[in-house]
Amino acid sequence: MPSSKENESPKISVADFVEKSFAKLGIEVLAGKKGLHKKQIASKRIQKFGLALAGFTHYINEGRIQIVGQSEISYLSQLESAKRIEAINNLDLEKICCILITKKLVPPEELLNIADERNLPILRTAQVSSNAISYISSFLLETLAPQITLHGVLIGMYELGVLLLGESGIGKSECALDLIARGHRLVADDAVLIKKLGENLEGFSPELTRGHLEIRGLGIINVRDLFGVSAVASCKKIELCIEFQKWQDVLEVERLGLDRQEKEIFGVKITKYILPVSAGRNLSTLVETAVRVHLLKVAGFDAAQKLIAKHSAIVGGQ
Amino acid sequence: MLESKIKVVNPLGLHARAAAQLVRLASGFKSRIKLRRIDNAVIADAKSILSVLTLAASKGTRLKLEVEGEDEQEALQAVEEIFVNGFDEI
Repeated sequence: MPSSKENESPKISVADFVEKSFAKLGIEVLAGKKGLHKKQIASKRIQKFGLALAGFTHYINEGRIQIVGQSEISYLSQLESAKRIEAINNLDLEKICCILITKKLVPPEELLNIADERNLPILRTAQVSSNAISYISSFLLETLAPQITLHGVLIGMYELGVLLLGESGIGKSECALDLIARGHRLVADDAVLIKKLGENLEGFSPELTRGHLEIRGLGIINVRDLFGVSAVASCKKIELCIEFQKWQDVLEVERLGLDRQEKEIFGVKITKYILPVSAGRNLSTLVETAVRVHLLKVAGFDAAQKLIAKHSAIVGGQ
Repeated sequence: MLESKIKVVNPLGLHARAAAQLVRLASGFKSRIKLRRIDNAVIADAKSILSVLTLAASKGTRLKLEVEGEDEQEALQAVEEIFVNGFDEI
């Protein structure tokens, strides 16, 4: 089995969030700087304080970004100072990972002081709430998507992401090189980062190894430099999985092509073919053919089924 | 070389899945295994799925089994058995 690292619920620190969304939101940190690295955003949903400021704090969820807009600021500013402090302290501040003030509004002094005491980051952006919310939602959806790193190779073939699996040394990278030479595109070698976005599996390469391939005897090669920019792709939707197995390890070789095998990642099922590997079998041609067979089946043409229907008519009809 | 006469007994005949089962079994032996229809001249290699399908053997078809090789005794027995058992369908 391929080794895997699974991380069902990734988190991102507030500091990371501030840095990665700077281009879009231009976030400044007003208070609670000490909490930037410690506090984690764990939910892809955001929240607005709303009634929580009036004392109804049951629904403050841990790990969500709290958005503070005009209505919250106005509500706080019309309270007397003592009430304001009470309202803020009531908020269950331990649970809150950070507060984002929109529209460059000026928060009350009391909030900043309390946040500094409790190491709760107070962030501010010039964007209005609705813009900030829509950006943050899509940013978090991608960043906090469940992800897994599989040992394998991901190749873009005819607009499909094809995941090649198999134990190390079986020839995945060499097969990938062959496929690249035939005009297909490398996404990731050795470590494939897979994220579940919606109902799709998207495959990426970890930043460091992007565009690189390790070929025994040659070492690490740079595919982009050697084959050009069209030989690499940054990400692909994974739609097919091909597993290489040593011939003697294959329990039951598929002979008819009627039964569909599946690989499941995060509950998403993709078609899987098991290809036995032995001397004299040209893997890249086999993989290319497997992809063509898959494309044809998806389009509704199944050669095996057709031939066998014909055969059954003959055998059954006598 | 060993020979034996067998008959397709399962109701569906030597259909695709049964053929695949036979091919898988035959591939496990080193011997050359051939099936010959008695009523016409069609010969099939029991290790090749397309070849076995061309026999188009329905229920009641009589076949001659020819096995040659170092493990011919075991191979003959195993193939006979799978036919007699009707591919576990009866």
